[in-house]
Amino acid sequence: MKKTGFLYDDRYLQHDTGPYHPEAPDRLSAIFSGLERAGLLSKLIRLEACMAEMKWIEAVHDKQYIERFKSVCQSGTNSFECEDNQLCYQTYDIARLAVGGVLNASRQVMDGVLDNVFCAVRPPGHHAEADRSMGFCYFNNIAIAARYIQSEWGIQRIGIMDFDVHHGNGTQSIFESDPTVFYYSIHEHPSFAFPGTGRAFEKGSGDGIGFTRNYPVLPGQGDDEYISIMDTDFTPLMDQYAPEVMLVSAGFDAHVDDDMSGISLTTDGFTYVMERIVDIANKHSGGRIISVLEGGYSLKRLPELVNNHIEILLRD
Amino acid sequence: MFVSRSMTQKVVTISKDADIIEAKELMEQHQIRHLPVIEPDGLLIGMITDRDLRSALPATFFKTENPAEKMPVVPSIKVKEIMTQNLVTLSPMDTIQDALLLIQKTLVGALPVVDNKGNLKGIVSVRDLLRAFINVLGIGQPGTLLGILVEEKIGQLKKIVDIITEEKISFGSVLVARYWEEGKRAVFPYLLTNNVVTVKKKLRDNGYTLLDPMEWYLDQLPKTEPKNAATS
Repeated sequence: MKKTGFLYDDRYLQHDTGPYHPEAPDRLSAIFSGLERAGLLSKLIRLEACMAEMKWIEAVHDKQYIERFKSVCQSGTNSFECEDNQLCYQTYDIARLAVGGVLNASRQVMDGVLDNVFCAVRPPGHHAEADRSMGFCYFNNIAIAARYIQSEWGIQRIGIMDFDVHHGNGTQSIFESDPTVFYYSIHEHPSFAFPGTGRAFEKGSGDGIGFTRNYPVLPGQGDDEYISIMDTDFTPLMDQYAPEVMLVSAGFDAHVDDDMSGISLTTDGFTYVMERIVDIANKHSGGRIISVLEGGYSLKRLPELVNNHIEILLRD
Repeated sequence: MFVSRSMTQKVVTISKDADIIEAKELMEQHQIRHLPVIEPDGLLIGMITDRDLRSALPATFFKTENPAEKMPVVPSIKVKEIMTQNLVTLSPMDTIQDALLLIQKTLVGALPVVDNKGNLKGIVSVRDLLRAFINVLGIGQPGTLLGILVEEKIGQLKKIVDIITEEKISFGSVLVARYWEEGKRAVFPYLLTNNVVTVKKKLRDNGYTLLDPMEWYLDQLPKTEPKNAATS
């Protein structure tokens, strides 16, 4: 059994998005009790939230943007930049706790204390750009983790696999000209789904051309398409890139029962995707995987999907 | 919607007495394919396109890496010898729709815009129209497109707009397209949100049919053959 970390903190429930919002605290509660029920919690090494140092957040986000976000929260307003982004007084601090938790988890993996880790954090991050919040995201947790790992461990090749059903426009924009981070995303085709980016012709810019890969999937497609993408595209590309660590933007909203998308992936499909990511990490990255929760809104399916995700991480 | 607002105003032009090699260099330098030919006072007298150049210059001229080496073998040709003179033009107060239909009809890639004295004011190319329609579609902003099937009768759109507005969702655009079933229309609201779960449910609860995204279309004719279609 692998030494798998699990980041979770009750404080992540304090980010209040109001009634009727899909990105609700219930998501994390459902994940936590699902792990408890399945008897998985005792197999995991528990990590708690901690405050991120500002210098790491500033390594990705503009100072003025951070200030804007902070003052909106403290003013008591309940949305930021767009009605989608519902927040509360505590959101700024909770977002910093999410980043801090992910950075601490990254440190434990990079230092070899853990083999891999799953970070059950809120708010999510992959839509957040350097100077713009979007799609329920404020600080780009995974992008900040990648910058942290680059700078503290001098890692030259970081792989980010984003299987959230929505394109991670934030992560892509942050690393599009950086060949030391390979951003790979499978998502519902942008002509049918939020946020309208992630078209196949978006391949990076400048020195980063060829280090961004977008694989849009049409509505109604599911396991067969994902299996084929993982086998014929993801695996050969990652074999070529040979990432020294794998970061995963783990969104569970491509599930057939998740109303946020038109994609029909089953739990078995998610298993296939994650197993191939683990294969790449075992082959090239010494097994190092830092997986961070993004979307996934079906409270009925989330526990099953996360339990499954964690069982794959635990497997030798 | 007037072409004066969407046209390129700083037009790269050429004089009728210039050599066509100069025209080719100007096109390459500015990455354009149309050069209006004007008199010193701004009067539009013709147009020269990259296709005109390709017809006038030997094929080898385009393949060589250093065109200067080939210069001596290319006879000097003046712009006025190969330019198109009877031009289809737009006026600044023509609309984008005029430009679209005219480009479709004339099969040209760009139309010059002239004032009532015939002086060049701008140029509208397919690229300018694309930019305008990317804007109209709203796809430069993050959002989600829905496809809703409605009866073709008054008041349908209002109910849809009301439901979406109740959810405090902003519109990026709304398109209404013909649908292949008689008496039906397809409405495509582009919503500036990631959060469409509730609004989709409300639309269904109000009796609307959400179209299967794989059946969406913006540019096809009805699937069924018209009843009086000729058979062959």
